Amino acid sequence: MRKYLARGVAAGAIALLALTACSERSGDGGGEEAGSAKGFAANSLIGVALPAKTSENWVLAGDLFTNGLKEAGFQSDVQYAGATSTVADQQAQISAMVTKGAKVIVIGATDAAQLTTQVEQAKQAGATVIAYDRLIKNTKDVDYYVAYDNFKVGQLQGQALLEGMKAKKPNGPYTIELFSGSPDDNNSGVFFDGAMDVLKKEIDAGNVVVGSGQKEIKQTATDGWKAENAQRRMDSLLTSTYSSKTLDGVLSPNDTLARAILTSVKGAGKPLPVVTGQDSEVESVKSIVAGEQYSTINKDTRNLVKETIEMVKALQAGNDPKTNDTESYNNGVKVVPANLLEPLIVTKKNVVEAYANDPKLAPLTTGAK
Amino acid sequence: MSDAPVLLEMRAITKEFPGVKALSDVNLVVRRGEIHAIAGENGAGKSTLMKVLSGVYPYGSYSGEIRYHGSESRFSDIRASEQAGIVIIHQELALVPGMSITENIFLGNEPRRGGAIDWKSANRQALELMARVGLREDPDTLIKDIGVGKQQLVEIAKAFAKDVKLLILDEPTAALNESDSQHLLDLLRGFKQRGITSIIISHKLNEIAEVADSITILRDGKTIETLDIKADGVDEDRIVRGMVGRELHSRFPDHTPKIGEVFFEVRDWTVRHPISADRMVAKNSSFTVRRGEIVGFAGLMGAGRTELAMSVFGRSYGVYQGGQIFKDGQEIVLKSVADAIKHGLAYVSEDRKSLGLNLLDDIKTSVVSAKLSKIADHGVVDQVREYKAAEGYRKSLRVKAPTVDEGVTKLSGGNQQKVVLAKWMFTDPDLLILDEPTRGIDVGAKYEIYGIIQQLADQGKGVIVISSELPELIGLCDRIYTVFEGTITGNIERRDADPELLMKQMTSAKKAQIR
Amino acid sequence: MSRIKELQKSLFAGTTSNARQFGMIFTLVAIVLLFQILTDGLTLNSSNLISLVSQYSYILILAIGMLMVIVAGHIDLSVGSIAAFVGIVVARAMQDWSLPWPVAILFGLAVGAAIGVWQGFWVAYIGVPAFIVTLAGMMLFRGGNQFIGSADTIPVPEGFKVIGAGFLPEVGPNTGYNNLTLLLGLLVAVAIVVREWKARRTRREMDADVAPMWISLIRVAVPIAVVLYAAFRFAGGRVGTSFPISGIILGVLVVIYSFITRNTAGGRHIYAVGGNARAAELSGVKLKRVNFLVMMNMSILAALAGMIFVARSAASGPQDGIGWELDAIAAVFIGGAAVSGGLGTISGSIVGGLVMAVLNNGLQLMGVGSDRVQIIKGLVLLLAVALDVYNKNRGRFSVIGSVTRPFRREAPPTGPGSNVETDQEPAKTPVAG
Repeated sequence: MRKYLARGVAAGAIALLALTACSERSGDGGGEEAGSAKGFAANSLIGVALPAKTSENWVLAGDLFTNGLKEAGFQSDVQYAGATSTVADQQAQISAMVTKGAKVIVIGATDAAQLTTQVEQAKQAGATVIAYDRLIKNTKDVDYYVAYDNFKVGQLQGQALLEGMKAKKPNGPYTIELFSGSPDDNNSGVFFDGAMDVLKKEIDAGNVVVGSGQKEIKQTATDGWKAENAQRRMDSLLTSTYSSKTLDGVLSPNDTLARAILTSVKGAGKPLPVVTGQDSEVESVKSIVAGEQYSTINKDTRNLVKETIEMVKALQAGNDPKTNDTESYNNGVKVVPANLLEPLIVTKKNVVEAYANDPKLAPLTTGAK
Repeated sequence: MSDAPVLLEMRAITKEFPGVKALSDVNLVVRRGEIHAIAGENGAGKSTLMKVLSGVYPYGSYSGEIRYHGSESRFSDIRASEQAGIVIIHQELALVPGMSITENIFLGNEPRRGGAIDWKSANRQALELMARVGLREDPDTLIKDIGVGKQQLVEIAKAFAKDVKLLILDEPTAALNESDSQHLLDLLRGFKQRGITSIIISHKLNEIAEVADSITILRDGKTIETLDIKADGVDEDRIVRGMVGRELHSRFPDHTPKIGEVFFEVRDWTVRHPISADRMVAKNSSFTVRRGEIVGFAGLMGAGRTELAMSVFGRSYGVYQGGQIFKDGQEIVLKSVADAIKHGLAYVSEDRKSLGLNLLDDIKTSVVSAKLSKIADHGVVDQVREYKAAEGYRKSLRVKAPTVDEGVTKLSGGNQQKVVLAKWMFTDPDLLILDEPTRGIDVGAKYEIYGIIQQLADQGKGVIVISSELPELIGLCDRIYTVFEGTITGNIERRDADPELLMKQMTSAKKAQIR
Repeated sequence: MSRIKELQKSLFAGTTSNARQFGMIFTLVAIVLLFQILTDGLTLNSSNLISLVSQYSYILILAIGMLMVIVAGHIDLSVGSIAAFVGIVVARAMQDWSLPWPVAILFGLAVGAAIGVWQGFWVAYIGVPAFIVTLAGMMLFRGGNQFIGSADTIPVPEGFKVIGAGFLPEVGPNTGYNNLTLLLGLLVAVAIVVREWKARRTRREMDADVAPMWISLIRVAVPIAVVLYAAFRFAGGRVGTSFPISGIILGVLVVIYSFITRNTAGGRHIYAVGGNARAAELSGVKLKRVNFLVMMNMSILAALAGMIFVARSAASGPQDGIGWELDAIAAVFIGGAAVSGGLGTISGSIVGGLVMAVLNNGLQLMGVGSDRVQIIKGLVLLLAVALDVYNKNRGRFSVIGSVTRPFRREAPPTGPGSNVETDQEPAKTPVAG
């Protein structure tokens, strides 16, 4: 027994020496410049870290990334944050991708301000970081931003709201309510500002009135983009403000919230207002076809993922990926070069054409017209 | 009475627990319509016998025969015996405090219509049953809102709901005051008129003599005798003789007491029950302890000995109402256990497992647990001193364990008791209160514990021993106080102490004349 | 078999703390090696080890406090919310009042202590069950986080990030390794030797049996090998990284709290209260004070954990701390603590936490999605404890028991062999009047 133990200890000591001999410090020098010009092997690992599977779009994006990266010849590691400990999970997932030697890491952030450490880690290990859909804040280590033009989304929503109300009732003034997204999502403010860019003029001119007077983003915010929170707020607005007044329109930043708002109005037995949306979710497309929700935004996830993979391919070949806005997106530390895609507003009028190429949504639009 | 037909006969009942014969060849004959008392010291086997009868110990776990209504009964559980009309009402009432009287009466036995409980009929039936036991209350009253006496009546009503033929009451009046007790006894007589047979287990011999028709006396798990109260002219003295009639043999080490001055005195100690505000568990109790003296406290279960001791020990039981404690002529105020320990008191609980030890601990941790400061510097435990201290006691008290690292659960009852004793000896007390120090311990270990107690006394400490075993008190103590219903009823020197006298003092409120 | 048992006993079941440490590292190594193989060597990769430590240090800090809470027979569900609350308060304080970051840390600890006083008061002095008090706290402080932060994310200054994202600095000559990390490893190795030597001396002073020298050698050699190996790994990471500061904070806390729980009167009292509160009270233990301090201590550690996470994330957000209480509780139970209290050790809980951490990390490295990781973690927790309970009930060899026994304070009685009391008439409840 004693002999075996002695041997074991000896063997352990040898193994120890063998293992400690290799320090990772030697191979690190190249990491710093690898990010920009030189390119990398065609079958490298590409990491994709996405938020929890709370909306259809993220699920779809994950599938598209997995397949698209595979077709392009890369290895892919697509991860969603867990439903409970989202931020911590995503941090750990990004670290794991860095450890596995991912060359590009695409991040759809759960909380865009809490990934600084991980992004820095990725950068120092020589990976390129692409912020997907949500801009990562307060770090110099994010390389590119790819997204639909969210300010534009907001503007389109604002215009749609005005048009929709005009179609129902030719003359104002119109009474509306404003909803915005989760306060921890960088995009919420951008959508809201875009919409207000259009609506502000009308409000100032008195054509449009915010019934409750709640015009600030903090007052209109919807925690966690959760339908239940929007519904709760709408319920109380209906009780407090609209027992006698008529509500003409509601600015809703996305489809999930739009449907929650409509549910609330239906529950109160009021006439349906014009409600905007975004994301082209299945239920909302049905709702638009049925004439309930007024509009949504088609930010086809397919295009966004395709564009992202094109950027990855460019990086692999050692080229600069395409960017079209190198001024607007300041994350607090630097201006991040952005590749912005144009969103499309969808109402009942153009719903058939808008989704003609979408295998899932196209069948739903047959009822329209 | 003696010519009435036999309702129940238990023949040659023997029940063994590992290592102990709790009942051996016990016989019990109960005639229809009588009130039959069972008497015996604590541990004589009364409750075990009733548990055999009611199916708590099912058929097969004992030997012997139960004949009920003329044929042999083999109860597999309580439900089976209840179906046969045998209902036992335990000392601790089995009522749900947050439920109403009706709900309690029909708990598990609810009248149903369709799938739902028929509350209307339940309430009606409850009122009928309550009338039968003389309970006038709204049936919707919650149990916790009525007194113990009425709760007892609810229990009996509950028994009637099950169509009782043989009612067994275990210490029914132990927790009741005078008038409630009287009401209950009247009720029993009323049942007799209606042909219901009762078995009553009681320590209150005056009550037995008053209400029972016949009595069976148990001692050490054996039937001693069955007497007809009227025909045999049985009185309390006669019962006491039956209960204690064993000879005292030399189960005690030889010892010559070295008794010094009075150093500890309690005056007019009065303590209230922690929950019921009108119940006093100690009433104006005064006692003294001299250096080197072993003082016994005799009393039946529920007499208030433990409560008195614990309340003196840093008010760890009940609500203090009044009284003073003097040590070495100085008054001391003990508001917490820590105070009591600081002033040299030690209390070894009657319940080692739930009050004396942390069963997760090992020997050494247990031994030092009541005075860590003795082996700690600035709060840091010195493991060497801990080990040595514990090791010292292991050797001197002859604890049967290989090392002091052994877990206390692995020890036998006697050795656990030695560990608890060591724990309190370690606090260097001047006064040790030992509550039932030999309960559940085999004879050999008892002898050793007696030796330890005598040694402690010889070191000039005062020792109080609370025990339900009279021979133990008589054999061990220099002086014995008797306690009855929270009052000290006697102070008997060793030379005067005999079981019958003690038993008399323990069962009546009359103060002893002997001083 | 018997010889293996004997060896197991002499190696693991000694009374010295060293033996306990030894047993733990052994358990962990098995799991680490499994993933080392499954992930093609990524698990023990320097950068992975570094991120592992900085990712889980705050959970392990919570596990320390939680162990004490659970040993005392309570539970704390509010730690995640307290962490989030303190995080946002500190972030706000630095942003709005420009509080220097070291002061902000002290301020955060003070806020944690104040919360602890609040919760401890209800638990100890009013007697509200800790489950309820901390469930209330969970909601209270989650709401507080959103109230103070306006449900927004607030960034923290660069200096503050040291406690969560900082590393031992580079000093001295270029050796190809981080010199301070190597030095730290060396210090730990020396400490291991010193402790074993002290333990032997203690046994000798007790006049107790001293283990043979070769057993001591193994008990010293194996941990030292592991420590030195780890030191080289941590020191050999990318330039600028080394052993994380948060790991050092954790290490210091583990040493301090292990000492408190094992070697001080206060620590003994926690176990006494959890093991048998009434018996402890009758031994002069101040029940209320123990309960109060245990709950308060938990809140302070939760505050620290919250600040470390905020520092690591560079910002305090509304989702901080969600689900942490469950991770901490799971770590404590996997580490061998008893649900009913009175059992468990700091080192055991740390092992429990590391088992979960390595599992999580290994599965992530294998590209397993977070949904399946959750499922696996849930099953591991259930099976680990269930197997232990099952084996204990059957009186058989218990896997976790055998591994964690060195960390336990005497396992509860096992089926056969436990003595049956000889009371023939079971004593009535002791103080029933």
